[in-house]
Amino acid sequence: MAKIKNLKGLMIPITDYPHMPYWATLEEAVVLLNFSYETAHDTILVFEESYRLIGVLDQKEILRDIHPGFSKLSPEKVSDKWEKLISTHNLDQLKKPIKDFITPFNIILDVEDHALKAAHLMLKHDIDLLPVKESEKIAGVVKMHDIFHEIATFILKS
Amino acid sequence: MRSLLNIFKKIRFKKADIPKASPPDKMSFKERYDCFQNLLVDNNSILEIQADMEEKLSGDYIFDMHYVDSRCDILVEKVQSLIENLNSLSNGEYLGLYDAFERINSGIKDTLIKNIEIPVTDFTIPFEDVTKDMVRSVGGKNANLGEIKNRVNLPVPEGFCISSHAFKKFMDYNKLGDKIDISSVDTDSLVDLTSASKAAQNLVLNAGVPPDLEKSILDAAFELKRKTGHRAGGFYVSVRSSAIHEDTQFTFAGQYKTALNVAPEDVVSAYVEIIASLFTSRAIFYCKSKGFHVEDMVMAVGVVEMIDAKASGVVYSRDPTDEGKRGIIINGVWGLGKYVVDGIVKPHSYVVSRDIPMPILEKNQPVQPFMLICGLEGGAIDVRVPDYIRRMPCLSDEQVTTLAGYALVLEKHYGKPQDIEWALDLNDNLLILQARPLRIITGKPSMPVPRSLPGHKILINKGQIACKGVGAGKVHFVTNDEELKSFPEGAVLVARHTSPRFVTAMNKAGAIIADVGSPIGHMASIAREYGVPTILNAEIAMKTLKAGQEITVDAINGNIYEGRIEQLIEAGKKDNTFKDTAVFEVLRGVLRSIVPLNLIYPEDEKFSPQYCETFHDITRFAHEMAMNEMFKLGEGAHRRKGGAVKLVVKLPLDIRVIDLGGGVENGSDKKITVDNIACIPMRALLKGMMAIEWPGPPPVNVKGLLSVIASTAMQPNSEKSLSESSFAVVSREYMNFSIRLGYHLQTLEAYAGDRINDNYIRFLFKGGGASHDRRARRTRLIKEILEKIDFHVERTGDVLDGRVTKYDRASIEKKLGVMAKLTAFTKQLDMTLFNDAVVDWYIKEFIKKHYVE
Repeated sequence: MAKIKNLKGLMIPITDYPHMPYWATLEEAVVLLNFSYETAHDTILVFEESYRLIGVLDQKEILRDIHPGFSKLSPEKVSDKWEKLISTHNLDQLKKPIKDFITPFNIILDVEDHALKAAHLMLKHDIDLLPVKESEKIAGVVKMHDIFHEIATFILKS
Repeated sequence: MRSLLNIFKKIRFKKADIPKASPPDKMSFKERYDCFQNLLVDNNSILEIQADMEEKLSGDYIFDMHYVDSRCDILVEKVQSLIENLNSLSNGEYLGLYDAFERINSGIKDTLIKNIEIPVTDFTIPFEDVTKDMVRSVGGKNANLGEIKNRVNLPVPEGFCISSHAFKKFMDYNKLGDKIDISSVDTDSLVDLTSASKAAQNLVLNAGVPPDLEKSILDAAFELKRKTGHRAGGFYVSVRSSAIHEDTQFTFAGQYKTALNVAPEDVVSAYVEIIASLFTSRAIFYCKSKGFHVEDMVMAVGVVEMIDAKASGVVYSRDPTDEGKRGIIINGVWGLGKYVVDGIVKPHSYVVSRDIPMPILEKNQPVQPFMLICGLEGGAIDVRVPDYIRRMPCLSDEQVTTLAGYALVLEKHYGKPQDIEWALDLNDNLLILQARPLRIITGKPSMPVPRSLPGHKILINKGQIACKGVGAGKVHFVTNDEELKSFPEGAVLVARHTSPRFVTAMNKAGAIIADVGSPIGHMASIAREYGVPTILNAEIAMKTLKAGQEITVDAINGNIYEGRIEQLIEAGKKDNTFKDTAVFEVLRGVLRSIVPLNLIYPEDEKFSPQYCETFHDITRFAHEMAMNEMFKLGEGAHRRKGGAVKLVVKLPLDIRVIDLGGGVENGSDKKITVDNIACIPMRALLKGMMAIEWPGPPPVNVKGLLSVIASTAMQPNSEKSLSESSFAVVSREYMNFSIRLGYHLQTLEAYAGDRINDNYIRFLFKGGGASHDRRARRTRLIKEILEKIDFHVERTGDVLDGRVTKYDRASIEKKLGVMAKLTAFTKQLDMTLFNDAVVDWYIKEFIKKHYVE
């Protein structure tokens, strides 16, 4: 029986994934994701000074933090003009360090773990991204996108 | 000559005199720092003297040998001191500079000796043996005549010169050099002039002629008589002055005496009379007002067979009153030419075309009432012109054409218009008696460059003039090497600051403008060498001017105008009459060993003592090396860590301070605060750092959840490096600060004093941590930001070495403020540098936020 791949082959190496220190501003986070648009990455890894990983910041969280009340607006209030929705308060938010908006990490996988283990954890905790370590260092991340692709092969074969 | 001895004394530099370099530990930091400061003082003095001497080359100033002499003396002293200080500072690392110094100094010595000394020659020299390079021996007039006879091959009278060496012998024999003193004469007082003149002349006229000189002159005179075969009635000569400064662009013409129709046995007394004419009030006044000293007044004399002239006159190879006209003008009179030269009678005049076949265009033959002829017993007498020739032309058409031909030949030989004296002897032979450059009154009266021109817009009127002149062209900004390489012909170079690298564009530049820079700095010196009008410290040129804009740079009044203004450009053209004189040549000669800068690029392998060819090279090399040595000194201090005191300050850095003297005030031995810091650059840096919003602590709820380290970090001992201290070595003007921030080591060195030439900032960045790509991006980020704030940056792999020099103190402080921001900004920024687009954004952000112009 074919063995499912381990994460080493499926992960995105840390150097190829957007990450920044916790003192960076929301604005910088927007810049980083914007300039890495072609990669289709939607989450930033957040580190502290000695390169310890402390959490993530995803696109939805960023939008939420720029305009906290946005999702609670009634539909008619959602203008088609960006300037109408934005006040100086929102612009001030952009200057804030991202440390206040991070989602902490609870789970870490290892490079030797296999894809099904990753899938299991992702479904259980309803997350699309997990960090992967290799001998006590963060080596990269795995995305549901790639896990699914791996499993799909098996689904279609059977 | 007096000054010669001084030169010999000062330059004999014994290697034994060099102090033995103390072993490294013996010489304290403080002592070495003092050497550094002394070196900076020397450096400044040298550049100032150099600039002053270069300014004299512009032709706008008159100066004498003593100026050249004394400047060279001081320079030699300062350059020696500079080399000694460098070697003390560096423990004798640069002994090779002494060799370079000896080599260059010999060159200067040779130039000075060659020109101050009166060459030792025979007392008398026949014209056959004279050419124009012998001015120092026979004087201008004689040298010229010799040249015309021997090289241009035109007919001149026979004769000989009594040399300047003979003159010296005469003066020394009678101790006249000591007895005659005109240095204290007040040229504004006619009484003073007259009495000084009388006294000097009396001394000369009563002086004895050394027997060997007398014999030599008489022998030569009788030899001349034998050679020419005496004509009926006896042999006579004219004895004329030929001073060393005469007949170049100084119109000494007519200042000194000429004795006509002298019998051979009277030549010696005529000689003495002519020497006495050196000291007429008029001559003394003229000499002093041009800045000459009595030692400069050296005279040779010409003894020439007296031409019993049937007719004589002058030829001008061009119309002296109108340079536009192309005709050759000939004036003539019956008898001796003195009447033409002195303007006593109206001469016959002819205008001849200079184009083949050279037809006579005009003839004017007024009636001449009286003429000057040679007396039978000597002397010259004034007589009435006989009737049978009174209405006749003094020259036949053929003779006129011949003279015109001679004029053209002389003009071609000397490359400039000529003023020629001629004579027609009793056998109808035409002879040239004298030729000298013709002074032409140019069409436009020489007016000064106007201070402002109505109707023309002044774009900028700030700045300091580094090289005088007026230039015009299209603006070409130079902010990097590419723009320098592509510099177009005739454009105006506009840059933020100066750099010796601009030398590559100097031949093409119409003018140079920079927002900052020192008029005594290296680039300014090179600009003066090339004569490119230059304005520095214009402050707003980069921001006011537009690329390709046509402008006129008036670097005489310090104005930059919109458009090309021909009137100004013309007015800016100089009348270079002083430039042909002997003393000017001497200055030009010595400056060749002083000014040209060959060592331009410190990174070049030729940047070393063996390639130094001028004092400027030595100075530049020494200054660069001194800065390097100070840098190493600072590094050494860090390693030693002895005597470091903790600085208490609200910054995420552990700073320890080592005071070289004057950098810390009233601090305790254990700790100091920012208020105790007297070091100017350190204060500026700390001020900038304290104004930064440093990152706060990590979020409480997520700390310590994951204790793994990202593989982007290549430092296994990360904990240790994070806690290392940052060391600062300081004095009042100097700082060498090794900053440990995150995983990076940055060394920031700065000197901020009162002299702009001393000031600099040096920034060394060695980044640790991060993957290869990110390190490269971070290096690029820092390099580009540094370049935007006017640093010159060298990159070797991950190491950046940035330098900024020659800004005033306030600007250095301002830059350090920006450097402080950069230090914090780059703190572990490599994490974020995902790709190049991100890097570009960060560069823009930093400049926008922190570098407000």
